[in-house]
Amino acid sequence: MISTNQGLVTSKIVGLIFSLSLIFFNIGDTYSSIIFISIMLSIGIPHGSVDHIIAFVNPKSRRFSSKLSFFSIYIALIIFNIFIWVLSPFLGLFSFLLISCYHFGETQVIGYHSTDNQLLNFVIGANILLSLFLNNIFELQEILIEFKFFSDIDLSSYENIFFLLISVAVLMMSVLYFDIKRKVPLYAELSILYLIFYHTDILTSFSIFFGFSHSLPMLLMEYNELKEDSFLKFYLKTLPFTILSVVFGFILFYFNDSLLTTENLILFVFIVISSLTLPHVFIMKDFVNDK
Amino acid sequence: MNTLNFILGASLQPGDFTGFTFFIGSVSMLAATVFFLVQHGQVDKKFKDSMLVAALITGIAAVHYYYMRDQWAEGLGSPTELRYVDWILTVPLMVVEFALLTGVGMRKLFWASVVMLVTGYFGESGVTGIGDAQVWGFVSGLAYFYMAYEVGCLSIFGLGNGGDVGNALANAKGKIPAAGRMLQWFVLVGWSIYPLGYMIGTADGMWYAGAAGLPLDMDIVYNIGDAINKIGFGMAVWSAARD
Repeated sequence: MISTNQGLVTSKIVGLIFSLSLIFFNIGDTYSSIIFISIMLSIGIPHGSVDHIIAFVNPKSRRFSSKLSFFSIYIALIIFNIFIWVLSPFLGLFSFLLISCYHFGETQVIGYHSTDNQLLNFVIGANILLSLFLNNIFELQEILIEFKFFSDIDLSSYENIFFLLISVAVLMMSVLYFDIKRKVPLYAELSILYLIFYHTDILTSFSIFFGFSHSLPMLLMEYNELKEDSFLKFYLKTLPFTILSVVFGFILFYFNDSLLTTENLILFVFIVISSLTLPHVFIMKDFVNDK
Repeated sequence: MNTLNFILGASLQPGDFTGFTFFIGSVSMLAATVFFLVQHGQVDKKFKDSMLVAALITGIAAVHYYYMRDQWAEGLGSPTELRYVDWILTVPLMVVEFALLTGVGMRKLFWASVVMLVTGYFGESGVTGIGDAQVWGFVSGLAYFYMAYEVGCLSIFGLGNGGDVGNALANAKGKIPAAGRMLQWFVLVGWSIYPLGYMIGTADGMWYAGAAGLPLDMDIVYNIGDAINKIGFGMAVWSAARD
């Protein structure tokens, strides 16, 4: 059994070593898809695959009367999210970003401040996503080619460093004007994340952040909460819903043509992730309440 | 040697002193990072954040010096953009050391450091197309002098404690005033190396055109300045923390 703090530190050090290896060995974006898929399948999706257990283990999160009500609401939220994407891709993306800001920020402040300050959670998450997007903004324009109001903006006269500067300045403002218990370590950790975002492509940047700063720490916290004898035993419990999520992704992809009208695979992956994320965010909000 | 070079994109040419200082910068920053991380476990709890920040500063610099060495060795010229990426990430962390020692002044120093870096980059890269290197350099210099005042560099000459940070350092207990004095020297003398590098690099057509005639290369000046300041800053904090 490892403590929450040990789990957080271990995950982030593993992520840092992994990132530095990518930078030093000059991997570039050749293997970004493989890195993304590997991290999503091994850590990313599994960390949300025990929601059905977590929702009933933590006394503070017992808001469901039965497993049936849990699954009904959970699946309804997934369908609701897909419905929004079909209705308006812009609204789908916008709501996904808002929810992600809160969710990522909430887990990021663990160890630095209480998660009670919801505005702080949101602002920290927004900073991370802002930096991820700004430091890879030219790539992002290609991914979001269907969102003309964004992809048509001419940014060719700006250098990458300009966007790094903006993201660092916004981070400074955020950290300075919030009351945070461990302000400097939080700023320092985010500086390292920004360094990784600057030097790697958008998919690798997201994979590293999502895998090692978000999913793996949460996975280890869930392991602690469930008090399993071994990590392997715990990990096996995540497999059924991980496999189900992958099947769900394939089904959505199969029926994609008439529904989502997007040929952009990365954008499609965003849609799948957002659908899985929406119900997960509510479960995690209760889960991290006392962390 | 070829076996060791598998990790590097290009090899330095014999006699390439500038390239050599990039290499030395990279390995010395890496060594300092390891040292600060090892010492992190040895120091008192209240200095742990300071030691971690010191390790981060040199760690981030080590990564960027690795990149800069590579760019230089490939004949792509002076790595201005990478250098500023490094500074954007590390200079705010350096001024944070003052805030960690004193508990005050973080806001002022943060903003002053941003102004100093942004205007310095505008002047050196010419990216804005507005103003010239001497105008941007002047603004950058003002921000630097403000920081020097704020952290109490005037106290070195017995001219008062300067701003809030300088006051807090002067009135602190234990080894903090001594560490603060070392940091003040770094800001006053160590950081003044950078304007010299800036003037050498942007001398063409400016009032300081004579700086181009100095037997120094801008990158060598910056590399020496970085090694002294980044490692020195951490060593100053470590000297206060080690007891």
